[in-house]
Amino acid sequence: MKFASFLILVPALAFGQGPGQNNMAARGLDIFDKTCATGYCHGTKGTAGGAPRLAARGFDDAYVTQTVRNGIPGTGMPGFGNLERADLLAVVAYVDSLNGVTPPAVPGMAAGPARPKLPADAQRGRELYSDQVRGLTRCSICHQADGIGIAVALPLTSVPESVAALRQVRTPQVEMATAEGDTFPALVLNRNGAQTKLYDLTVPPPVLRTFAKGTVTFRAGAPSAGSNWNHSAMLAPYNDQELEAILVFLRAVTK
Amino acid sequence: MRYLLLLAIAAPLFGQGGAANGATGADWPSYGGTQLAWRYSALNQVNTSNVKKLAPVWAFQTGDYDQGLQSTPIVIDGVLYLSTTHSQVFALDAATGKLIWQYKYPMPRAAGGNIQNRGVAVGAGMVFVGTYDDYVVAIDQKTGREAWKVAVNDSKQCGCSITAAPLFVKDKVIVGTAGGDGAFRGYLTALNARTGRLAWRFYTIPGPGEKGNETWKGDSWRYGGGATWMTGSFDPALNLVYWGTGNAASDMYADNRYSGQGEGANLYTSSVVALDADTGKLKWHYQEIPKDVWDYDAAYECLLIDREVHGKMRKLLVHINKSGYSWALDRTNGEFISAYPIVEHHTWLTGMTEDGKILGRIEPVENKATLICPGPDGGKSWNQVAYSPRTGFMYTPSLEICSNSISREQEAVEGRGFLGGTWSNDPPADGPAYSHIDAYDPVTGKRQWSVRYKYALLASMLATAGDLVFTGDPEGNFFALDARNGSKLWNFQTGAGHRGSAISYSVNGRQFIATPTGWGSIAGRMIGPLWPEVDTFRAGSTLMVFALPEETR
Repeated sequence: MKFASFLILVPALAFGQGPGQNNMAARGLDIFDKTCATGYCHGTKGTAGGAPRLAARGFDDAYVTQTVRNGIPGTGMPGFGNLERADLLAVVAYVDSLNGVTPPAVPGMAAGPARPKLPADAQRGRELYSDQVRGLTRCSICHQADGIGIAVALPLTSVPESVAALRQVRTPQVEMATAEGDTFPALVLNRNGAQTKLYDLTVPPPVLRTFAKGTVTFRAGAPSAGSNWNHSAMLAPYNDQELEAILVFLRAVTK
Repeated sequence: MRYLLLLAIAAPLFGQGGAANGATGADWPSYGGTQLAWRYSALNQVNTSNVKKLAPVWAFQTGDYDQGLQSTPIVIDGVLYLSTTHSQVFALDAATGKLIWQYKYPMPRAAGGNIQNRGVAVGAGMVFVGTYDDYVVAIDQKTGREAWKVAVNDSKQCGCSITAAPLFVKDKVIVGTAGGDGAFRGYLTALNARTGRLAWRFYTIPGPGEKGNETWKGDSWRYGGGATWMTGSFDPALNLVYWGTGNAASDMYADNRYSGQGEGANLYTSSVVALDADTGKLKWHYQEIPKDVWDYDAAYECLLIDREVHGKMRKLLVHINKSGYSWALDRTNGEFISAYPIVEHHTWLTGMTEDGKILGRIEPVENKATLICPGPDGGKSWNQVAYSPRTGFMYTPSLEICSNSISREQEAVEGRGFLGGTWSNDPPADGPAYSHIDAYDPVTGKRQWSVRYKYALLASMLATAGDLVFTGDPEGNFFALDARNGSKLWNFQTGAGHRGSAISYSVNGRQFIATPTGWGSIAGRMIGPLWPEVDTFRAGSTLMVFALPEETR
């Protein structure tokens, strides 16, 4: 809560010229201390921790901005592109200040988030959709939407009108596969190549399995014959209210 | 004849009198040698009398130099399996180093963060490796082709990753997770080894309605840490899987998570848990660090040995965590038997009661740095101990590194860092930082010998029936000590620092000692501010393999 109220109060002061830059660096210091100077990563005041020293390295604003936003692939430095824009600029301003650089003024800079904020009910739906408490039975274990989740299923192109309609969703693309003496519901990625690749849907999470050509057979009539796999069974961890919120979220982010 | 002899020794695990036998023979089948995690080889062709002649016979450069080579190779039937930082896996002829196959995991392009990998597991005809983005991959042991892969979490959301070697148990592969210094709730995942299908999942933090959840304030259990970022052990006779759990989060600030209710605090973080191997159900737990505010991860290896305690044979679990203490527990029921320090500087407590209660806690506070020993690097890093049944000693790599720590209230943001404070690595108050290799009685904690080293030792120990203890240092030396008295008998400069785990195995009767080389890792960087020379420790990623010259065998 402390942090949230800080965000609300400070932006009005933070983004002008002159003293405003200092305020921005002060805000950046706060974010830096909590996010970057954790000991495992950088140290306080730009000293080295588990990650390299940042003070007096001759960095310019462009390099710092680029690195904070995108990280350094293949190293321990992650990208922080999903920080709120104001926070990102503030932390860049702070690292700039450690290198004797004043960041360029940002005209008309408003403390808005990088991506448009979802309405509260859609945000609640997003949290439910990807709710870790539901472990491996949450929606995002098989679906990716709004940048969250694992893309096992194809991206959603339409969203069911109601919870009732969601419960009726049919999945003719899932078929029954037999391999290694075992018959199971499968979402096939590739059946005609040198290898057959499919998601085994027996139990979540889906397993991407690879079989040598000719070692998997599919039930006659497939894919239209369908399977014993039932999407509505996957909804069991959620009640109707929660599913409604998830639909609101999906409508908000599905183009 | 020699080969037959080796085979006889190789058959694990229970010898005369039913005492657990964690020795390896021709193979090195599991991360800790065997599932009992002794890191002890019963091979004695290389021994105290001839180790001076030990010479390199082959080397393998992986080409994956980031973060050094932190792996423990696995050897089965003359084939060596090795994984690297980016979850590349190699199968090599263990006698010659000739490449049999390689598997290159397609790393996600945007990968950043905690990329490291400490090894594979082999079983059911598969080689299993965890990945930075939370996949478990099974590779066909013969062909090197991917058989299955499954995401056990969404790394973009959880900020977590798999860095530890999986543990193969019966028909399952069990995988831990890193991520407990972020807003994250730890777990173990067991998958069917053949199909990859979920067998069970155990959350290290109980959910609402489950016993232990009352030790968490409000919703704090959702992001309370307890990562399982190293590899556990398995006792086939008891059918129990043992795993150490990491720190509670936020690491250094507990007011938002400590409820003061129930027995223990922030269960089951900084604990050892014993789980039924078939169901993942909790059989017992022992919390070593209740209300951890020091980042004293208890995620390290569980050494399973049978020893006489007060005249009675006991089935023990010996376990060190970052606090610089070692615990001996009864592994049938979690009963406390003993605890003793393995570091010379332990200022986080003033003492411990006879039944294991911590006295006089010195905790980090807000707004003012407090020098506390050990620091979050730990009195030992994750590099592992070895145990020799010949000497009865446990061999430990201990660190004398402290920290100036500050705690700070922090709000949890899922998948983001959640340290609740910060620290700098600093030497003890009475002198420079250093490290040492020691031999301990694993029950009484009586130190038998000690060898001091001026930098941090961050490679695992290997003990052998030749009464040798092998390990490497950051300057590139790979060396052998006399297991009985610690005297140095052999040294070889490998050209790069050591952050991995050496093993021993044999092929056609010839004993090999193999060590990963290549400096790197988080702890490797964290010690940088303590010694400017750390800049001279060389990165790399090479497996160096040694044996006695043919004519001397």
